[in-house]
Amino acid sequence: MKVSFFETARYQAAKPLPSEWPVPSGVYEPDAGARAYRGMIERLEFVEELGFDWVSVSEHHYSPRILTPSPIVSAAFLAAHLKKIKIALLGPIVPQSNPVRVAEEIAMLDTMAQGRLVVGLLRGTSNESLTYDLNPAESRERTDEGMELILKAWTEPQPFGWQGRHFRYRTVSIWPRPLQQPHPPTYALGTSREACEFAARHHLGCGVSYGSFEGVGRATKYYREECAHHGWQPSPEQIIYRANMLLADTDEEAHETLRKLPGQAPFSMRPRIRDAMMTLDSRNIAGEARSPIVSGALPTTFIGSPDTVVDQVRRCRDVVGAGVIDISLHPPGSNDLEPLMRALELFGKKVLPRIRDI
Amino acid sequence: MAETAFREGHVDADGFRIRFLEAGDGVPLVHLHGAGGLRLTPTHELLARRFRVVAFEMPGFGNSPVNTRTETMPELASTMSRAIDRLGLDTFNLMGTSFGGKTALWLALQQTGRVQALVLEAPAAIRQEGAAAPSGTPQEIARRLYAHPERVSAPLIDPALRAKAQPLVQRLLGPHRDADLESRLQDLSTPTLVLFGTLDGVIAPAMGRLYKDLMPNCHLVFVYDAAHAISTDRPEAFTEVVVDFLERHEAFVISRAETVIHP
Repeated sequence: MKVSFFETARYQAAKPLPSEWPVPSGVYEPDAGARAYRGMIERLEFVEELGFDWVSVSEHHYSPRILTPSPIVSAAFLAAHLKKIKIALLGPIVPQSNPVRVAEEIAMLDTMAQGRLVVGLLRGTSNESLTYDLNPAESRERTDEGMELILKAWTEPQPFGWQGRHFRYRTVSIWPRPLQQPHPPTYALGTSREACEFAARHHLGCGVSYGSFEGVGRATKYYREECAHHGWQPSPEQIIYRANMLLADTDEEAHETLRKLPGQAPFSMRPRIRDAMMTLDSRNIAGEARSPIVSGALPTTFIGSPDTVVDQVRRCRDVVGAGVIDISLHPPGSNDLEPLMRALELFGKKVLPRIRDI
Repeated sequence: MAETAFREGHVDADGFRIRFLEAGDGVPLVHLHGAGGLRLTPTHELLARRFRVVAFEMPGFGNSPVNTRTETMPELASTMSRAIDRLGLDTFNLMGTSFGGKTALWLALQQTGRVQALVLEAPAAIRQEGAAAPSGTPQEIARRLYAHPERVSAPLIDPALRAKAQPLVQRLLGPHRDADLESRLQDLSTPTLVLFGTLDGVIAPAMGRLYKDLMPNCHLVFVYDAAHAISTDRPEAFTEVVVDFLERHEAFVISRAETVIHP
């Protein structure tokens, strides 16, 4: 099992924060932001030392929960500070990006970082449609087309035009191309039938997140079936499972911590916006309809003592087929950094060495 | 969409009676069809709003008698340029689809001064090794040709007529890499637009770059979510870029799209 640390540039400030998304930017404290980014590097130097394989960054907007609206900027900053660890960009929200720009920036950074980049392309969470005025009903189609264009921009040696549904270019010919050829290890992220099929058709990896092993396992099973249909088999490393992990010395302590955590997502949309979003934003697991995640805390699927968590990682490998776990060790909803550092140390010493051969 | 009426006509060339369908006014655009024969698509109608579209049925295809006389692609091209002469067209734009793309390239090589611009839809002049033409039932053929066979409304080509033309197609199509043609293409400076659908399962879209490698004035465009029959899968997308190219040639790369939302 390979292990990735999900870094969110945790923001801590004295002022109380409003609970609604978008969070008014007027309450943002520049010094606290600077501390969050400095803290990120200090933490990740430790993560690298503990022997994690990857650090992952994501794209989220308009809230302090995950302070990384531009994953490419985060990744570049990390690449410059860290020496060995791979940097997983999970990833640019494709439907609201310029796909050619995404292809260029990733190629550039992969080259600058000496081929240490891993890339996940995704549709993004429902609320992100509001960020740059994207019609949620179009986000699926824009994602599929944008991903295809990114792959084409990386691999097509002659200047070309793109006559798409949502994107149109007459001249594409990117410089540099990625250092890793034909492109960095790339994953289509998400549990949807469309993401699994896209990944299978283009020989990409698949990344799922947060759901129960059985739930996301339906998506990875479908992905593997689709790969077989296209005449190939993914390696374990081509399946990433991102999850919350609550690690403590004992099972009791871990569950006690979970009980004390808020059951609500820290910053949720206003109910009427959320409800309207639910009707426009269709989501599925391997073709079976599911609700978009618009409120409620994300589940914690790795929880307990080191022994228990090692067993859970083994089950995750069996049920989900994941060869990479991308873990958030920060107790969900908590603002406190100290438990994160304790969990990190415990994970590095008591879990990491025991899951390598899973 | 207003129906554009295509009128049928015939011309005689090299002893063949050659059928064509014609609609629209303006600069002439001659179309040479693929190995299945002539079949009007929504794209013909869209193009006829801007051009005088003349879609030929090449001898041996459709209901025309079996063609056992034409031996080579350059010969077919020269017959087709005589057919164009009979219509009194001095200069014209030329569009070739798949098999007809190779005919169009030969015609452009033979008539360099007359072909103003060349459009090649999934051309078959360069193919990956082992590329196989669609065959089987009409439904099986449709699955090879179209990304969205369920959206095809006009009747598919009669399999018997398709089968009848196959010996001619096999005789004329030539090897997957045609050294003679490829060496000549290096001197063909006619503005050329090559289009491939991203889902083309007959000729690999990666063949597109080889035209650019060879031809001095070639532009390559991928049409997203289209298979081999681009003009049927995505008629509006296909027409927009083709019209733009035929009107502006190389300058078609300069966007004229407006992004003002409110004044």
